[in-house]
Amino acid sequence: MDAISQLQEQVNKIATIAFTTIGTLQRDAPPVRISPNYPESESAPPNPNPNPTPNPTDDAADFAMQPKLMSADLVKAAKQFDALVAALPLSEGGEEAQLKRIAELQAENSVVGRELEKQLEAAERELEEVRELFGQAADHCLNLKKPE
Amino acid sequence: MATATYPPPPPYYKLYKDYLQDPKSAPEPPPPIEGTYICFGGNYTTDDVLPSLEEQGVRQLYPKGPNIDFKKELRSLNRELQLHILELADILVERPSQYARRVEEISLIFKNLHHLLNSLRPHQARATLIHILELQIKRRKQAVEDIKRRREEAQKLLKESLETLEDTGAPLM
Repeated sequence: MDAISQLQEQVNKIATIAFTTIGTLQRDAPPVRISPNYPESESAPPNPNPNPTPNPTDDAADFAMQPKLMSADLVKAAKQFDALVAALPLSEGGEEAQLKRIAELQAENSVVGRELEKQLEAAERELEEVRELFGQAADHCLNLKKPE
Repeated sequence: MATATYPPPPPYYKLYKDYLQDPKSAPEPPPPIEGTYICFGGNYTTDDVLPSLEEQGVRQLYPKGPNIDFKKELRSLNRELQLHILELADILVERPSQYARRVEEISLIFKNLHHLLNSLRPHQARATLIHILELQIKRRKQAVEDIKRRREEAQKLLKESLETLEDTGAPLM
């Protein structure tokens, strides 16, 4: 893919990571403890689910990793954008410089084109001559034409 | 202009009844449109140029001027973007109800970024054209060389065969 399209893709990727990060963190954040009275007590948890092993601290630990991972992703994407910008093959200034170069190249192209046409015509002429001579020689060999 | 789900074809076909016998009896095709035109309810312009940011009502964050240093501007916009995202995260923690302004600024930065990238496209088009012209010149020169070489080879072969004939086959002639 060409450089500018890659840059555009990278910009969109940064945007996606940004809103995904903020959206996920907002949606999945555990509630914040505001007053020391609620919830009542942590020793007797009121949830009736019978799974002993996945304790809430594991989820909390996982969840604390999320912002770190996501922000690392964001910074990585931004660094990649910078790298892509540095790799841009942006030739030196000016629309005018480019247009001038295009005019030069067009002139050279037409010169070379005429040369090519000349060579081609000469080659085709020679080919016709050779064909005719070959025809004559072949006729002669087959004795269709008496040699004069 | 009536809008129907399956509109019938336009009734102009009747005018072309005698086209085979007399091509001039039917109307000419319409000339190309210039300026703006309406297509399926949308306005289009025939002038293919990237409208500047002000025309789209978006504030331009990078400096205007004849020659913009694209790499520098892109990098500084990237930094601005990161700072703004950080600001948004901060403000969501402190004063969550004031997110709107930050989100607007972030989208402004993105619009500027995309506009900068789009304005690089004409430059890319000209660079591609230069590249194609260079390739074509190279190919043509190569073809000229090839033809010259082949002609010389053919001349050489003919001369050699002529000498062979003169040496051996004089009575044949």
